[in-house]
Amino acid sequence: MTTNTQANTEGNTQVPAARQRPAPPPADNSRPAARTRSTRLLATLFLAPTIVGIVIFTVVPIVGSVVLSLFHWNVIDDPSFAGTANYREVFADSTVLVSFRNTLVFMALAVALQLLIALALALAVNGRMPMWLRSVFRSAFFFPLVLSAASISVVMKYLFNQDFGVVNWLLGLIGIAPVPWLTSENGAMAAVILVYVWQQFGFSFLLFVGGLNNIPKEIHEAASLDGATGLRKHLAVTLPLLSPTLLVASVVGIINALQVFEQPYVLTNGGPGDSTRTVVMVIYETAFEQLRFGPASAVGVLLFVLIMAVTALQFRLSRRFVHYQ
Amino acid sequence: MTDSLISRRGLMRYGAYGAAAAALGGVAAGWDRLTGADIPGRNDGSLVVATLGPAYGPEAVRTLTEGFRKQHPDIKLRINAVQAVDWSDFFAKILTQIAAGTAPDLVYVATEGVQLFAQRLGVPLDRWVKRDAEELREYFADVHPSLVESMMYEGSLYQLPVEFNAADMYLNNQVLKRAGASFPAPDWTRDDFTALLRDMKKSGGSRFTPYFWTNRLWGGVVPWLFANGTNLLAESKAPGGAWLWDSFYPAADRRGRGGGFRWTTPQATDARVEEAYDYLASLIQEDLCTRPEGGNGQNLVGVFSTGRVGVTPAGGFWAGGLSLAGMKATDYDVQYFPRWRTQRMQFGAAGYALLRTSKKQDEAWEFIKYAARRDTLMRLFRTNQTTPARRSMLGPDRYRETGPDHWQVFYDTLDKFPDTGPIPAPPQVAEVEQVLLKHTGTALASRGAVRPALRRMQGDLEKAMERAV
Repeated sequence: MTTNTQANTEGNTQVPAARQRPAPPPADNSRPAARTRSTRLLATLFLAPTIVGIVIFTVVPIVGSVVLSLFHWNVIDDPSFAGTANYREVFADSTVLVSFRNTLVFMALAVALQLLIALALALAVNGRMPMWLRSVFRSAFFFPLVLSAASISVVMKYLFNQDFGVVNWLLGLIGIAPVPWLTSENGAMAAVILVYVWQQFGFSFLLFVGGLNNIPKEIHEAASLDGATGLRKHLAVTLPLLSPTLLVASVVGIINALQVFEQPYVLTNGGPGDSTRTVVMVIYETAFEQLRFGPASAVGVLLFVLIMAVTALQFRLSRRFVHYQ
Repeated sequence: MTDSLISRRGLMRYGAYGAAAAALGGVAAGWDRLTGADIPGRNDGSLVVATLGPAYGPEAVRTLTEGFRKQHPDIKLRINAVQAVDWSDFFAKILTQIAAGTAPDLVYVATEGVQLFAQRLGVPLDRWVKRDAEELREYFADVHPSLVESMMYEGSLYQLPVEFNAADMYLNNQVLKRAGASFPAPDWTRDDFTALLRDMKKSGGSRFTPYFWTNRLWGGVVPWLFANGTNLLAESKAPGGAWLWDSFYPAADRRGRGGGFRWTTPQATDARVEEAYDYLASLIQEDLCTRPEGGNGQNLVGVFSTGRVGVTPAGGFWAGGLSLAGMKATDYDVQYFPRWRTQRMQFGAAGYALLRTSKKQDEAWEFIKYAARRDTLMRLFRTNQTTPARRSMLGPDRYRETGPDHWQVFYDTLDKFPDTGPIPAPPQVAEVEQVLLKHTGTALASRGAVRPALRRMQGDLEKAMERAV
């Protein structure tokens, strides 16, 4: 089948395109109901692999966790029904409550820092710069994301060691006394956030670079003609137009941050005290070290509810702050 | 009829879907639980032995497998070297395998997990030990009774120890020389130890830390508690065990032995425990030792071998580690832990535990015996990565290349100090260790922090010990 334009150029016919009638679709004698059914079947077949994957790897584990949270189970003996006892135990456990507080504090600070750094660097890389240098920066900023979080944390643990670490050695060169990065409450949380953000900001950075490239140049030119410059242009033009990307980056960032595990587990083991113990660490310790899968699942369900609530709140707020072109 | 109502045909269709789902659910619920062992090829009839990966490299696995095959060509063996950073991590992974339905037949278990496995998963070896008593007489004559007792639980023996490590003090000879200090005497005291650290600090400069220790159950605060004549949990002995002591050990070695250790009432607020914490806090305040770190001492070998640390507690396993790090035999040495109120020291041992779920228990027992043979251990422990449980394996030849000069200290920690005992590891060990690490971190933040933190530790330990595993 050829298009009208092709007909004009290839067949040298002088009939204006507007006057040409499109070729009628092949006759379909099947009944509308049968057609609808076959379309549905086709759609279902295409969707089936994804649906099966989601059911097996997402829905079943979620339902399994909810069910397990209502039982006592230690892997070795048969499970016994516990009702809401696990939830009561979890709500009365100060370690669990502290871990939720730590996780929320971590999430707020880490995501804010991650988005700020990623946005600043995306704006910088998107400025005037040779193409090859831009590629170098993009790769360099994304590189930490492909590394294992546990491996990075092991190396960082050496670097942040109070007595023998490179970080304190460098600070010592400019006269700053050794900082107890991993052995004081505030220092440990700061170290965990820094290591996490260093590894994670590359993803937000790539999103922002993509988002910035999608903003039409004409809009910036119009803003410049209207007299907007520098920061004013970014605040009034770039940020509102980037808000859909910002929403995606913040949703993904928050969901990831609420599930942080490797960095605090390797760097501080949750310490000193409970100061860097996160919710997922508590789930791991309760289930796989203490063999209490019921309370661990109850904490998991609570974390799931928290993530859903925070994500729903974000989407609700996005109606007010996100501008689609 | 509005859109929100379902047509009769629709109702029948949804009813059919519901019935099909219910039927599927019923079939699934009635079916035996599928496990990892049901995966084709996974269950090949081998005797499966799970070992700690980092301690058992490919060479060790080959040695174990080939040697066993020669002895027992009829038994198919598979060594599953599980990678883990420490024993706690290793046990977590083994329990995950058990939960997945792919439990090994034998698990290499250290003191940290002896009672947990014995209480919930293990099979007592008593009947096989009694049956093969003659064959095992040579083994028990070569292994210190304290190590064997640490593998007993409520009167039964659950493992044959093949290795152990006591917390002795490693000293860097270059640092000693720089400080103008001589090698300490075997009966050195806590005050001698403090004075040595001060001397080292004076000559070491600002980037030097005299004493490095790691916050963990083995070799952390516990050796100081033992030296001060106390423990984290009240310690006693279970009755029983005479069947073993009477059969294999002379009267002198039998005295005071029982059916294994019991660790019960928490005593974190005991005056001697507070005293031990006060002492460590004072060393930290004086800048004589490192603050407790979470996790393990991964960078310890590096800082010790480069002379940035003078003294640290470690076991025989470190001789191999320091040699690999490039230290010569003359660069370091080892001495007993210093005396305080007592000179009781702590150790951890390891051996193979047989799981109840195993369907090859007789074959597994053959492997346990094979793994405890002298020739097997000689091939396995060539590089001094641990202290062999067999006394006869320790000699000048073994330590000529790696050092230390005073290698006799390793086994004499048991022979010359018969009250030396295992780290406190009840079945609730995971929670106990977690509570210990957590509150040790806060207790040593300052001298004023010790008592409040120990009170919280006591409360958490009581909760942990009340909880059944």
